[in-house]
Amino acid sequence: MRRIATATALALMAACTPSAPQRTPAEAAAHALTLTPKDARLADLYAQSCKTCHTVLDTSAPLTGDRDAWDARWKKGKPALLTSTVGGLGGMPAGGQCFSCTPADYEALIAFMADREH
Amino acid sequence: MTTRRTVIAGAAGAGVAAVGGAVGYRAWRDREPASPAAQDNEGRLLWRNWSGIQNAYPQQRAAPDGEEALVGILKSAPGPVRPVGAGHSFTPLVPTTGTLLTLDRMSGLVSHDAANHRATVRAGTRLGDLGPALAAIGQEMANLPDINKQSLGGALGTGTHGTGRTLKAIHGDVIAFRLATPKGDVIACDRTTNADIFHAARVNLGAFGAVSEVTLQNQPLKRVLKRTTAHQLDAIIEDWPNLIAQHRNVEFYAIPFTGLAALITVDETDRPVSPRGPDADVDAVMELKALRDLTGFLPGVRRSLAQSAFKDAPPEEAVDEGWKLLSNERPVRFNEMEYHLPLDVQMTALREVIAAIEKHRPDVFFPIEARVIEKDDAWLSPFFERVSGSIAVHAYYKDDYRFLFDLVEPILRKHGGRPHWGKLHSLKAADFATLYPRFKDAAAARETLDPEGRMLNDHLRAVFIDG
Repeated sequence: MRRIATATALALMAACTPSAPQRTPAEAAAHALTLTPKDARLADLYAQSCKTCHTVLDTSAPLTGDRDAWDARWKKGKPALLTSTVGGLGGMPAGGQCFSCTPADYEALIAFMADREH
Repeated sequence: MTTRRTVIAGAAGAGVAAVGGAVGYRAWRDREPASPAAQDNEGRLLWRNWSGIQNAYPQQRAAPDGEEALVGILKSAPGPVRPVGAGHSFTPLVPTTGTLLTLDRMSGLVSHDAANHRATVRAGTRLGDLGPALAAIGQEMANLPDINKQSLGGALGTGTHGTGRTLKAIHGDVIAFRLATPKGDVIACDRTTNADIFHAARVNLGAFGAVSEVTLQNQPLKRVLKRTTAHQLDAIIEDWPNLIAQHRNVEFYAIPFTGLAALITVDETDRPVSPRGPDADVDAVMELKALRDLTGFLPGVRRSLAQSAFKDAPPEEAVDEGWKLLSNERPVRFNEMEYHLPLDVQMTALREVIAAIEKHRPDVFFPIEARVIEKDDAWLSPFFERVSGSIAVHAYYKDDYRFLFDLVEPILRKHGGRPHWGKLHSLKAADFATLYPRFKDAAAARETLDPEGRMLNDHLRAVFIDG
Protein backbone atom coordinates (compact mmCIF):
# COMPACT_ATOMS: atom_id res chain seq x y z
CA MET A 1 0.00 0.00 0.00
CA ARG A 2 2.83 2.37 0.93
CA ARG A 3 4.46 1.66 -2.42
CA ILE A 4 1.24 2.57 -4.24
CA ALA A 5 0.93 5.77 -2.23
CA THR A 6 4.52 6.73 -2.99
CA ALA A 7 4.06 6.01 -6.69
CA THR A 8 0.88 8.06 -6.76
CA ALA A 9 2.58 10.95 -4.98
CA LEU A 10 5.50 10.84 -7.44
CA ALA A 11 3.13 10.75 -10.39
CA LEU A 12 1.24 13.76 -9.06
CA MET A 13 4.49 15.62 -8.47
CA ALA A 14 5.61 14.87 -11.98
CA ALA A 15 2.31 16.09 -13.35
CA CYS A 16 2.60 19.34 -11.41
CA THR A 17 6.28 20.10 -12.23
CA PRO A 18 6.64 22.22 -15.39
CA SER A 19 9.19 20.71 -17.70
CA ALA A 20 9.82 20.73 -21.43
CA PRO A 21 8.45 17.62 -23.11
CA GLN A 22 11.11 15.23 -24.39
CA ARG A 23 10.87 15.22 -28.16
CA THR A 24 12.77 13.45 -30.88
CA PRO A 25 14.52 15.80 -33.33
CA ALA A 26 11.76 15.19 -35.88
CA GLU A 27 9.09 15.94 -33.28
CA ALA A 28 10.93 19.08 -32.24
CA ALA A 29 11.00 20.24 -35.87
CA ALA A 30 7.30 19.48 -36.26
CA HIS A 31 6.59 21.40 -33.05
CA ALA A 32 8.65 24.35 -34.28
CA LEU A 33 6.45 24.57 -37.37
CA THR A 34 3.38 25.12 -35.16
CA LEU A 35 4.81 28.21 -33.46
CA THR A 36 4.51 31.81 -34.57
CA PRO A 37 4.95 35.13 -32.76
CA LYS A 38 1.73 36.67 -31.47
CA ASP A 39 2.63 40.13 -32.73
CA ALA A 40 1.59 40.43 -36.39
CA ARG A 41 4.66 42.41 -37.50
CA LEU A 42 7.03 39.98 -35.79
CA ALA A 43 5.07 37.08 -37.26
CA ASP A 44 5.66 38.43 -40.77
CA LEU A 45 9.38 39.01 -40.16
CA TYR A 46 9.70 35.55 -38.63
CA ALA A 47 7.91 33.84 -41.51
CA GLN A 48 10.10 35.56 -44.14
CA SER A 49 13.45 34.92 -42.49
CA CYS A 50 14.02 33.06 -39.20
CA LYS A 51 11.47 30.33 -39.90
CA THR A 52 13.20 29.18 -43.08
CA CYS A 53 16.09 27.79 -41.03
CA HIS A 54 14.89 27.52 -37.41
CA THR A 55 12.17 24.99 -38.27
CA VAL A 56 14.35 22.80 -40.51
CA LEU A 57 16.53 20.09 -38.98
CA ASP A 58 19.00 19.97 -41.86
CA THR A 59 20.05 23.58 -41.30
CA SER A 60 21.58 22.67 -37.91
CA ALA A 61 20.02 25.87 -36.51
CA PRO A 62 18.52 25.64 -33.00
CA LEU A 63 14.83 24.92 -33.50
CA THR A 64 12.17 27.40 -32.48
CA GLY A 65 10.73 26.47 -29.09
CA ASP A 66 13.50 23.97 -28.28
CA ARG A 67 14.61 25.43 -24.95
CA ASP A 68 17.33 22.86 -24.45
CA ALA A 69 18.98 23.78 -27.76
CA TRP A 70 18.83 27.45 -26.84
CA ASP A 71 20.07 27.10 -23.23
CA ALA A 72 23.78 27.56 -23.95
CA ARG A 73 23.11 30.41 -26.34
CA TRP A 74 20.73 32.17 -23.95
CA LYS A 75 23.38 32.09 -21.22
CA LYS A 76 25.59 34.33 -23.38
CA GLY A 77 23.19 37.17 -22.70
CA LYS A 78 21.03 39.30 -24.95
CA PRO A 79 23.76 41.72 -26.09
CA ALA A 80 25.99 38.86 -27.26
CA LEU A 81 23.10 37.15 -29.02
CA LEU A 82 22.18 40.37 -30.78
CA THR A 83 25.77 40.90 -31.93
CA SER A 84 25.99 37.33 -33.26
CA THR A 85 22.68 37.77 -35.05
CA VAL A 86 23.58 41.05 -36.73
CA GLY A 87 27.09 39.98 -37.74
CA GLY A 88 26.45 36.28 -38.35
CA LEU A 89 28.18 33.34 -36.69
CA GLY A 90 28.99 29.85 -37.95
CA GLY A 91 26.13 28.70 -40.16
CA MET A 92 24.00 31.70 -39.14
CA PRO A 93 24.08 34.35 -41.87
CA ALA A 94 24.25 38.00 -40.87
CA GLY A 95 20.96 39.48 -39.80
CA GLY A 96 19.30 36.11 -40.19
CA GLN A 97 18.53 37.39 -43.69
CA CYS A 98 15.95 39.77 -42.21
CA PHE A 99 16.91 43.10 -43.68
CA SER A 100 14.06 45.20 -42.32
CA CYS A 101 14.51 43.96 -38.75
CA THR A 102 15.48 46.52 -36.11
CA PRO A 103 17.61 45.61 -33.06
CA ALA A 104 14.39 45.48 -31.02
CA ASP A 105 12.85 43.11 -33.57
CA TYR A 106 15.88 40.82 -33.36
CA GLU A 107 15.73 40.74 -29.57
CA ALA A 108 12.04 39.90 -29.63
CA LEU A 109 12.49 37.21 -32.28
CA ILE A 110 15.39 35.62 -30.39
CA ALA A 111 13.33 35.53 -27.19
CA PHE A 112 10.42 33.99 -29.10
CA MET A 113 12.55 31.28 -30.71
CA ALA A 114 14.34 30.54 -27.43
CA ASP A 115 10.95 30.20 -25.68
CA ARG A 116 11.87 33.03 -23.29
CA GLU A 117 9.22 35.57 -24.16
CA HIS A 118 8.06 35.85 -20.57
CA MET B 1 31.56 -1.77 -42.80
CA THR B 2 34.26 0.89 -42.78
CA THR B 3 32.72 4.33 -42.59
CA ARG B 4 34.17 7.52 -43.99
CA ARG B 5 34.56 8.84 -40.48
CA THR B 6 36.44 5.73 -39.38
CA VAL B 7 38.95 6.11 -42.20
CA ILE B 8 39.53 9.78 -41.50
CA ALA B 9 39.75 9.22 -37.76
CA GLY B 10 42.18 6.40 -38.45
CA ALA B 11 44.40 8.78 -40.33
CA ALA B 12 44.59 10.98 -37.29
CA GLY B 13 45.31 7.99 -35.08
CA ALA B 14 48.16 6.93 -37.30
CA GLY B 15 49.86 10.20 -36.67
CA VAL B 16 49.18 11.80 -40.01
CA ALA B 17 47.96 14.86 -38.17
CA ALA B 18 51.38 15.48 -36.78
CA VAL B 19 52.85 15.52 -40.28
CA GLY B 20 50.02 17.37 -41.94
CA GLY B 21 50.13 20.44 -39.78
CA ALA B 22 50.39 21.65 -36.23
CA VAL B 23 47.26 21.71 -34.14
CA GLY B 24 47.84 25.37 -33.34
CA TYR B 25 47.98 26.30 -36.99
CA ARG B 26 44.72 24.51 -37.69
CA ALA B 27 43.04 26.26 -34.77
CA TRP B 28 44.27 29.61 -36.09
CA ARG B 29 42.93 28.86 -39.54
CA ASP B 30 39.58 27.74 -38.11
CA ARG B 31 38.92 30.98 -36.27
CA GLU B 32 35.66 32.79 -37.01
CA PRO B 33 36.29 35.74 -39.36
CA ALA B 34 36.00 39.05 -37.53
CA SER B 35 32.71 40.84 -38.00
CA PRO B 36 32.47 44.62 -38.37
CA ALA B 37 30.69 46.42 -35.52
CA ALA B 38 26.96 45.73 -35.30
CA GLN B 39 26.30 49.47 -35.54
CA ASP B 40 28.46 52.33 -36.82
CA ASN B 41 29.22 55.59 -35.00
CA GLU B 42 25.92 57.03 -36.16
CA GLY B 43 23.91 54.07 -34.95
CA ARG B 44 23.30 52.56 -38.38
CA LEU B 45 22.82 48.81 -38.33
CA LEU B 46 25.32 46.56 -40.12
CA TRP B 47 24.27 44.71 -43.29
CA ARG B 48 26.37 41.76 -44.49
CA ASN B 49 25.87 39.29 -47.29
CA TRP B 50 25.33 35.57 -46.64
CA SER B 51 29.02 34.66 -46.72
CA GLY B 52 30.10 37.75 -44.76
CA ILE B 53 32.49 39.38 -47.25
CA GLN B 54 30.26 42.33 -48.25
CA ASN B 55 29.32 44.92 -45.64
CA ALA B 56 27.44 48.20 -45.43
CA TYR B 57 25.76 50.58 -42.97
CA PRO B 58 22.73 51.84 -44.91
CA GLN B 59 21.32 55.21 -43.89
CA GLN B 60 17.79 53.89 -44.35
CA ARG B 61 16.06 50.52 -44.64
CA ALA B 62 12.86 50.43 -46.65
CA ALA B 63 10.26 47.66 -46.84
CA PRO B 64 7.36 48.86 -49.01
CA ASP B 65 4.05 47.00 -48.92
CA GLY B 66 3.00 47.75 -52.50
CA GLU B 67 3.91 49.40 -55.79
CA GLU B 68 2.88 52.91 -54.73
CA ALA B 69 5.19 52.86 -51.73
CA LEU B 70 7.90 51.19 -53.81
CA VAL B 71 7.84 53.94 -56.43
CA GLY B 72 8.01 56.59 -53.72
CA ILE B 73 11.16 55.00 -52.31
CA LEU B 74 12.80 54.67 -55.70
CA LYS B 75 12.11 58.35 -56.45
CA SER B 76 12.89 59.97 -53.14
CA ALA B 77 14.76 57.81 -50.62
CA PRO B 78 18.47 58.51 -50.07
CA GLY B 79 20.56 56.98 -52.84
CA PRO B 80 21.99 54.73 -53.93
CA VAL B 81 18.84 52.66 -53.57
CA ARG B 82 19.90 49.03 -53.57
CA PRO B 83 17.41 46.16 -53.61
CA VAL B 84 18.31 43.12 -51.52
CA GLY B 85 16.71 39.69 -51.65
CA ALA B 86 18.25 37.16 -49.29
CA GLY B 87 21.77 38.59 -49.53
CA HIS B 88 23.16 35.52 -51.31
CA SER B 89 25.25 37.44 -53.85
CA PHE B 90 28.98 37.37 -53.29
CA THR B 91 29.60 40.38 -55.54
CA PRO B 92 28.95 43.85 -54.05
CA LEU B 93 25.57 44.30 -55.72
CA VAL B 94 23.89 45.38 -52.49
CA PRO B 95 26.22 47.56 -50.36
CA THR B 96 24.93 51.13 -50.08
CA THR B 97 25.30 54.09 -47.80
CA GLY B 98 21.84 55.20 -48.96
CA THR B 99 18.75 52.99 -48.90
CA LEU B 100 18.59 49.23 -48.50
CA LEU B 101 15.36 48.12 -50.16
CA THR B 102 13.75 44.79 -49.28
CA LEU B 103 10.59 43.49 -50.94
CA ASP B 104 9.88 41.04 -48.11
CA ARG B 105 6.45 42.66 -47.62
CA MET B 106 5.66 42.23 -51.32
CA SER B 107 5.47 38.47 -51.47
CA GLY B 108 3.06 35.69 -52.35
CA LEU B 109 0.96 34.49 -55.22
CA VAL B 110 -1.13 37.14 -57.04
CA SER B 111 -3.08 35.01 -59.53
CA HIS B 112 -2.72 31.97 -61.75
CA ASP B 113 -3.80 30.57 -65.09
CA ALA B 114 -4.53 26.88 -64.55
CA ALA B 115 -5.01 26.05 -68.23
CA ASN B 116 -1.63 27.40 -69.29
CA HIS B 117 0.25 26.62 -66.07
CA ARG B 118 1.17 30.22 -65.43
CA ALA B 119 1.36 32.10 -62.15
CA THR B 120 1.90 35.74 -61.26
CA VAL B 121 3.98 36.16 -58.14
CA ARG B 122 5.23 39.16 -56.14
CA ALA B 123 8.97 39.57 -56.52
CA GLY B 124 9.74 39.47 -52.80
CA THR B 125 8.60 35.84 -52.54
CA ARG B 126 11.38 33.53 -51.37
CA LEU B 127 11.90 30.53 -53.64
CA GLY B 128 11.50 28.23 -50.65
CA ASP B 129 7.99 29.59 -50.13
CA LEU B 130 7.14 29.59 -53.82
CA GLY B 131 7.48 25.80 -54.18
CA PRO B 132 4.61 24.90 -51.83
CA ALA B 133 2.50 27.85 -53.05
CA LEU B 134 2.75 26.63 -56.65
CA ALA B 135 2.24 23.00 -55.61
CA ALA B 136 -1.06 24.04 -54.01
CA ILE B 137 -2.30 25.10 -57.46
CA GLY B 138 -0.83 22.05 -59.22
CA GLN B 139 2.16 23.85 -60.70
CA GLU B 140 5.92 23.86 -60.30
CA MET B 141 8.84 25.81 -61.70
CA ALA B 142 10.64 23.75 -64.32
CA ASN B 143 13.90 24.15 -62.46
CA LEU B 144 15.32 25.47 -59.21
CA PRO B 145 18.76 26.52 -58.02
CA ASP B 146 20.86 24.62 -55.49
CA ILE B 147 19.72 26.96 -52.69
CA ASN B 148 16.14 28.20 -52.31
CA LYS B 149 16.51 30.97 -49.74
CA GLN B 150 16.72 33.66 -52.43
CA SER B 151 13.88 35.99 -53.30
CA LEU B 152 12.36 35.57 -56.75
CA GLY B 153 13.39 39.12 -57.67
CA GLY B 154 16.97 38.54 -56.55
CA ALA B 155 17.22 35.23 -58.37
CA LEU B 156 15.95 36.78 -61.61
CA GLY B 157 18.12 39.84 -61.24
CA THR B 158 21.33 37.81 -61.06
CA GLY B 159 20.57 35.13 -63.65
CA THR B 160 20.27 32.39 -61.04
CA HIS B 161 19.86 28.91 -62.53
CA GLY B 162 19.57 25.21 -61.90
CA THR B 163 20.83 22.48 -64.20
CA GLY B 164 19.50 20.51 -67.16
CA ARG B 165 20.35 20.48 -70.87
CA THR B 166 16.81 21.49 -71.92
CA LEU B 167 16.03 23.68 -68.91
CA LYS B 168 16.51 27.44 -68.89
CA ALA B 169 17.61 29.59 -65.98
CA ILE B 170 14.74 30.99 -63.93
CA HIS B 171 14.48 34.20 -65.99
CA GLY B 172 14.12 32.07 -69.13
CA ASP B 173 10.62 31.09 -67.99
CA VAL B 174 9.48 34.65 -67.24
CA ILE B 175 6.77 35.74 -69.66
CA ALA B 176 5.93 39.14 -68.14
CA PHE B 177 6.93 41.43 -65.29
CA ARG B 178 6.19 44.84 -63.81
CA LEU B 179 9.14 47.18 -63.25
CA ALA B 180 9.00 50.17 -60.89
CA THR B 181 11.54 52.83 -61.88
CA PRO B 182 13.31 55.75 -60.18
CA LYS B 183 11.49 58.08 -62.58
CA GLY B 184 8.25 57.10 -60.87
CA ASP B 185 6.75 54.76 -63.47
CA VAL B 186 5.52 51.19 -63.17
CA ILE B 187 6.09 49.55 -66.55
CA ALA B 188 4.35 46.35 -67.62
CA CYS B 189 6.60 44.33 -69.96
CA ASP B 190 6.30 41.20 -72.05
CA ARG B 191 7.44 40.05 -75.48
CA THR B 192 5.07 42.44 -77.25
CA THR B 193 4.56 45.28 -74.75
CA ASN B 194 7.70 47.30 -73.94
CA ALA B 195 9.64 44.44 -75.49
CA ASP B 196 13.03 46.15 -75.28
CA ILE B 197 12.67 46.62 -71.53
CA PHE B 198 11.47 43.03 -71.27
CA HIS B 199 14.66 41.81 -72.93
CA ALA B 200 16.99 44.30 -71.24
CA ALA B 201 15.72 43.97 -67.67
CA ARG B 202 14.73 40.32 -67.25
CA VAL B 203 18.25 39.92 -65.83
CA ASN B 204 18.72 43.34 -64.25
CA LEU B 205 21.15 43.28 -61.30
CA GLY B 206 18.61 45.43 -59.46
CA ALA B 207 19.95 48.34 -61.50
CA PHE B 208 16.98 49.21 -63.73
CA GLY B 209 14.51 49.88 -60.91
CA ALA B 210 12.77 47.17 -58.92
CA VAL B 211 10.67 44.34 -60.35
CA SER B 212 7.45 44.14 -58.35
CA GLU B 213 5.58 41.23 -59.97
CA VAL B 214 6.57 38.40 -62.27
CA THR B 215 4.51 36.02 -64.39
CA LEU B 216 6.15 32.61 -64.66
CA GLN B 217 5.58 29.91 -67.24
CA ASN B 218 5.41 26.87 -65.00
CA GLN B 219 4.61 23.22 -65.66
CA PRO B 220 2.26 20.68 -64.09
CA LEU B 221 3.47 19.38 -60.74
CA LYS B 222 5.54 16.21 -61.22
CA ARG B 223 7.16 13.54 -59.14
CA VAL B 224 10.88 12.98 -59.64
CA LEU B 225 13.57 10.54 -58.61
CA LYS B 226 16.76 12.11 -57.29
CA ARG B 227 19.87 9.92 -57.19
CA THR B 228 23.26 10.81 -55.74
CA THR B 229 26.11 8.43 -56.51
CA ALA B 230 29.90 8.37 -56.10
CA HIS B 231 32.12 7.82 -59.15
CA GLN B 232 35.66 8.16 -60.40
CA LEU B 233 36.02 11.73 -61.66
CA ASP B 234 37.66 10.81 -64.96
CA ALA B 235 34.77 8.50 -65.82
CA ILE B 236 32.17 11.20 -65.16
CA ILE B 237 34.05 13.77 -67.23
CA GLU B 238 34.27 11.32 -70.13
CA ASP B 239 30.59 10.43 -69.85
CA TRP B 240 29.31 14.01 -69.38
CA PRO B 241 27.89 14.40 -72.93
CA ASN B 242 25.86 11.22 -72.45
CA LEU B 243 24.75 12.16 -68.96
CA ILE B 244 23.38 15.54 -69.99
CA ALA B 245 21.46 13.87 -72.82
CA GLN B 246 20.03 11.15 -70.60
CA HIS B 247 18.81 13.05 -67.54
CA ARG B 248 16.34 15.88 -67.05
CA ASN B 249 18.56 17.48 -64.43
CA VAL B 250 22.18 16.46 -63.98
CA GLU B 251 25.20 17.89 -62.25
CA PHE B 252 28.32 16.64 -60.57
CA TYR B 253 30.68 17.75 -57.87
CA ALA B 254 34.35 17.17 -58.65
CA ILE B 255 36.23 16.66 -55.40
CA PRO B 256 39.76 18.06 -55.73
CA PHE B 257 42.71 15.96 -54.52
CA THR B 258 40.61 12.77 -54.52
CA GLY B 259 39.96 11.71 -58.12
CA LEU B 260 36.30 11.34 -57.14
CA ALA B 261 32.99 12.91 -58.13
CA ALA B 262 29.46 12.94 -56.75
CA LEU B 263 26.87 12.69 -59.52
CA ILE B 264 23.32 13.98 -58.96
CA THR B 265 20.55 13.13 -61.42
CA VAL B 266 16.85 14.03 -61.31
CA ASP B 267 14.29 12.36 -63.60
CA GLU B 268 10.52 12.13 -63.71
CA THR B 269 9.12 8.93 -62.24
CA ASP B 270 5.94 7.07 -61.30
CA ARG B 271 7.56 5.45 -58.28
CA PRO B 272 5.84 5.98 -54.91
CA VAL B 273 7.00 8.85 -52.75
CA SER B 274 10.14 8.14 -50.74
CA PRO B 275 11.07 11.40 -49.00
CA ARG B 276 14.65 12.58 -48.78
CA GLY B 277 16.47 11.49 -45.66
CA PRO B 278 18.51 13.65 -43.32
CA ASP B 279 20.99 15.86 -45.13
CA ALA B 280 24.33 14.11 -45.66
CA ASP B 281 26.09 16.90 -47.55
CA VAL B 282 27.22 18.82 -44.48
CA ASP B 283 28.87 15.75 -42.99
CA ALA B 284 30.55 14.97 -46.30
CA VAL B 285 31.91 18.51 -46.70
CA MET B 286 33.20 18.62 -43.13
CA GLU B 287 34.82 15.21 -43.60
CA LEU B 288 36.60 16.61 -46.66
CA LYS B 289 37.71 19.52 -44.49
CA ALA B 290 39.01 17.09 -41.85
CA LEU B 291 40.89 15.25 -44.57
CA ARG B 292 42.39 18.56 -45.74
CA ASP B 293 43.36 19.46 -42.18
CA LEU B 294 45.01 16.09 -41.61
CA THR B 295 46.68 15.44 -44.95
CA GLY B 296 46.69 18.76 -46.80
CA PHE B 297 50.43 18.61 -47.41
CA LEU B 298 50.48 14.92 -48.31
CA PRO B 299 48.46 14.76 -51.55
CA GLY B 300 49.14 11.07 -52.13
CA VAL B 301 47.87 10.14 -48.67
CA ARG B 302 44.91 12.49 -49.07
CA ARG B 303 43.86 10.86 -52.33
CA SER B 304 44.32 7.36 -51.01
CA LEU B 305 42.30 8.03 -47.86
CA ALA B 306 39.54 9.74 -49.81
CA GLN B 307 39.30 6.84 -52.23
CA SER B 308 38.99 4.44 -49.30
CA ALA B 309 36.46 6.62 -47.53
CA PHE B 310 34.18 7.71 -50.36
CA LYS B 311 34.46 5.46 -53.40
CA ASP B 312 32.00 2.82 -52.14
CA ALA B 313 29.57 5.28 -50.63
CA PRO B 314 26.07 3.83 -51.13
CA PRO B 315 23.72 5.63 -53.55
CA GLU B 316 21.19 8.00 -52.03
CA GLU B 317 17.71 8.04 -53.55
CA ALA B 318 14.56 10.04 -52.91
CA VAL B 319 11.24 10.28 -54.74
CA ASP B 320 9.06 13.35 -54.25
CA GLU B 321 7.78 16.52 -55.92
CA GLY B 322 10.59 18.43 -57.57
CA TRP B 323 10.42 21.52 -55.35
CA LYS B 324 11.21 19.29 -52.36
CA LEU B 325 14.30 17.74 -53.92
CA LEU B 326 15.98 20.16 -56.32
CA SER B 327 17.23 22.65 -53.71
CA ASN B 328 19.28 21.97 -50.62
CA GLU B 329 20.02 23.44 -47.22
CA ARG B 330 23.56 24.86 -47.16
CA PRO B 331 24.39 25.60 -43.53
CA VAL B 332 28.12 25.53 -44.26
CA ARG B 333 28.85 28.98 -45.66
CA PHE B 334 31.30 29.60 -48.49
CA ASN B 335 32.43 32.09 -51.11
CA GLU B 336 32.05 31.20 -54.75
CA MET B 337 33.05 32.02 -58.31
CA GLU B 338 31.00 30.60 -61.16
CA TYR B 339 31.45 31.10 -64.88
CA HIS B 340 29.26 29.87 -67.73
CA LEU B 341 31.22 28.55 -70.68
CA PRO B 342 30.50 27.22 -74.14
CA LEU B 343 29.43 23.64 -73.48
CA ASP B 344 32.10 22.13 -75.74
CA VAL B 345 34.97 23.54 -73.63
CA GLN B 346 33.44 23.03 -70.20
CA MET B 347 35.21 19.78 -69.35
CA THR B 348 38.56 21.01 -70.74
CA ALA B 349 38.30 24.07 -68.52
CA LEU B 350 37.28 21.94 -65.54
CA ARG B 351 40.35 19.72 -65.93
CA GLU B 352 42.55 22.81 -66.05
CA VAL B 353 40.91 24.30 -62.94
CA ILE B 354 41.33 21.08 -60.98
CA ALA B 355 44.96 20.71 -62.09
CA ALA B 356 45.76 24.30 -61.08
CA ILE B 357 44.15 23.90 -57.66
CA GLU B 358 45.84 20.58 -57.01
CA LYS B 359 49.21 22.08 -58.00
CA HIS B 360 48.99 25.35 -56.09
CA ARG B 361 46.29 25.27 -53.40
CA PRO B 362 46.31 22.25 -51.07
CA ASP B 363 44.04 24.19 -48.69
CA VAL B 364 41.05 23.84 -51.03
CA PHE B 365 38.61 21.11 -50.08
CA PHE B 366 35.17 22.22 -51.27
CA PRO B 367 33.82 20.25 -54.26
CA ILE B 368 33.67 22.00 -57.64
CA GLU B 369 30.23 22.02 -59.24
CA ALA B 370 29.56 21.39 -62.95
CA ARG B 371 26.12 22.09 -64.44
CA VAL B 372 24.46 22.63 -67.83
CA ILE B 373 21.91 25.32 -68.80
CA GLU B 374 19.76 25.88 -71.90
CA LYS B 375 20.23 29.14 -73.82
CA ASP B 376 17.78 32.07 -73.66
CA ASP B 377 17.39 35.55 -75.12
CA ALA B 378 17.58 37.97 -72.19
CA TRP B 379 20.20 40.56 -73.11
CA LEU B 380 22.15 40.33 -69.84
CA SER B 381 21.70 36.60 -69.41
CA PRO B 382 24.99 34.69 -69.12
CA PHE B 383 23.19 32.11 -71.28
CA PHE B 384 22.30 34.61 -74.01
CA GLU B 385 22.05 32.64 -77.26
CA ARG B 386 24.45 30.02 -75.89
CA VAL B 387 23.90 26.60 -74.32
CA SER B 388 26.27 26.76 -71.38
CA GLY B 389 28.26 24.52 -69.12
CA SER B 390 28.96 26.11 -65.77
CA ILE B 391 31.87 25.63 -63.40
CA ALA B 392 31.51 26.82 -59.80
CA VAL B 393 34.50 26.87 -57.45
CA HIS B 394 33.92 27.35 -53.73
CA ALA B 395 36.02 28.39 -50.75
CA TYR B 396 35.02 27.71 -47.14
CA TYR B 397 33.91 30.99 -45.57
CA LYS B 398 36.79 30.93 -43.10
CA ASP B 399 39.39 30.32 -45.83
CA ASP B 400 41.24 32.66 -48.17
CA TYR B 401 39.31 33.00 -51.43
CA ARG B 402 41.74 35.16 -53.43
CA PHE B 403 42.83 32.11 -55.43
CA LEU B 404 39.49 32.35 -57.20
CA PHE B 405 40.70 35.55 -58.85
CA ASP B 406 44.40 34.70 -59.22
CA LEU B 407 44.21 31.07 -60.24
CA VAL B 408 40.71 30.12 -61.38
CA GLU B 409 39.31 33.18 -63.13
CA PRO B 410 42.07 33.39 -65.80
CA ILE B 411 41.27 29.83 -66.88
CA LEU B 412 37.53 30.44 -67.04
CA ARG B 413 38.00 33.71 -68.95
CA LYS B 414 40.44 32.10 -71.40
CA HIS B 415 37.68 29.69 -72.40
CA GLY B 416 35.16 32.44 -73.09
CA GLY B 417 33.25 32.24 -69.82
CA ARG B 418 30.65 34.74 -68.70
CA PRO B 419 30.47 35.21 -64.91
CA HIS B 420 27.40 34.66 -62.78
CA TRP B 421 26.30 38.19 -61.85
CA GLY B 422 25.99 37.35 -58.16
CA LYS B 423 29.21 35.37 -57.80
CA LEU B 424 32.76 36.61 -57.56
CA HIS B 425 34.35 38.08 -60.67
CA SER B 426 36.61 40.99 -61.56
CA LEU B 427 35.01 42.07 -64.85
CA LYS B 428 34.03 45.60 -65.81
CA ALA B 429 31.88 47.31 -68.46
CA ALA B 430 34.45 46.95 -71.24
CA ASP B 431 34.71 43.21 -70.61
CA PHE B 432 30.95 42.76 -70.64
CA ALA B 433 30.67 44.71 -73.88
CA THR B 434 32.77 42.03 -75.58
CA LEU B 435 31.04 39.08 -73.88
CA TYR B 436 27.42 40.15 -74.36
CA PRO B 437 26.28 41.06 -77.90
CA ARG B 438 23.44 43.27 -76.57
CA PHE B 439 25.29 44.71 -73.56
CA LYS B 440 25.37 48.29 -74.88
CA ASP B 441 21.66 48.14 -75.66
CA ALA B 442 20.92 46.92 -72.15
CA ALA B 443 23.13 49.63 -70.60
CA ALA B 444 21.37 52.29 -72.68
CA ALA B 445 17.96 51.00 -71.57
CA ARG B 446 19.13 51.12 -67.96
CA GLU B 447 20.25 54.72 -68.31
CA THR B 448 16.92 55.72 -69.83
CA LEU B 449 15.04 54.21 -66.89
CA ASP B 450 17.45 55.61 -64.27
CA PRO B 451 19.08 58.71 -65.80
CA GLU B 452 20.35 60.00 -62.44
CA GLY B 453 22.00 56.70 -61.53
CA ARG B 454 20.02 56.35 -58.31
CA MET B 455 20.27 52.54 -58.50
CA LEU B 456 24.06 52.49 -58.95
CA ASN B 457 26.60 51.80 -56.22
CA ASP B 458 30.32 51.76 -57.02
CA HIS B 459 30.27 48.14 -58.20
CA LEU B 460 27.37 48.70 -60.60
CA ARG B 461 28.89 51.93 -61.91
CA ALA B 462 31.94 49.87 -62.90
CA VAL B 463 29.74 47.18 -64.45
CA PHE B 464 27.63 49.54 -66.54
CA ILE B 465 29.65 52.72 -67.07
CA ASP B 466 33.22 53.21 -65.93
CA GLY B 467 34.93 49.87 -66.35
